[in-house]
Amino acid sequence: MRRLSRQSAEGNQHLTVPAAVNDELRSLRARVPHLTGALVASVDGFVLARDAATSEAEGIAALTAVALGVGIRLAEVTGQGGFRELLVRGEQGYVATYAAGASAVVTVLAQPSVNVGRLHLEARRSTVRVAELVDAALAQSDKP
Amino acid sequence: MASNIEPILKDAMTSIEGAIGVALVDYTSGMALGTIGGGKDLDLTVAAAGNTDVVRAKVRTMEMLGLKDEIEDILITLGTQYHLIRLLNKRQGQGMFLYLALDKARANLAMARHQLKGYEGELEV
Repeated sequence: MRRLSRQSAEGNQHLTVPAAVNDELRSLRARVPHLTGALVASVDGFVLARDAATSEAEGIAALTAVALGVGIRLAEVTGQGGFRELLVRGEQGYVATYAAGASAVVTVLAQPSVNVGRLHLEARRSTVRVAELVDAALAQSDKP
Repeated sequence: MASNIEPILKDAMTSIEGAIGVALVDYTSGMALGTIGGGKDLDLTVAAAGNTDVVRAKVRTMEMLGLKDEIEDILITLGTQYHLIRLLNKRQGQGMFLYLALDKARANLAMARHQLKGYEGELEV
């Protein structure tokens, strides 16, 4: 997993991703009923894209990075291989985080009534597209 | 009580003529508790999630119609397959259904439906 943010005189600069990432989030929300929010975050906790309805995206992205750190370690230590996804079920709903390539994750919020099976299928599909877009944007930004 | 999901699914797959795939699905989550058969032409994980929406839609429709009744089973007839959804009764597994995909050319629908009902009675989740 690689960090996307860079320290500069102005503070943290992070990657701008193409609008297609937002389109993918919108499409995910349209495909899965009972979602209450969706965002794309860098693995170091910055919001790269968010669905319009997602409030507190910065906080969620930052917490996602912390949970991700534990998730990655836990998978590693127990011999389960690379990180794929994380599902938290609260009394009032779900928070799910899916790896999207090596540098980003898709985090989704859902009501308790969500079809988790469908959420997994559709979110995994979305991460493939998001990973392509983020990796392409990253390759672009690496060029001098 | 120990669960007998796996042996029941295995038995259904071998004894029901024309069975292509069987799954026990929790429709509160859309996730399968057990699957057998399927393959690249029939992804049972996708079928579990998709048919959860089918069951939920029907439950909602009945509520809207004011029907105070319960769904026993749902039959979907395709060109080459039958898909049978059998809801478990409250005692065994609230919010669960058995899903059976059959090859239309080899299956006996009446027999398959009867057998599926039998498995419903034996199942301990």
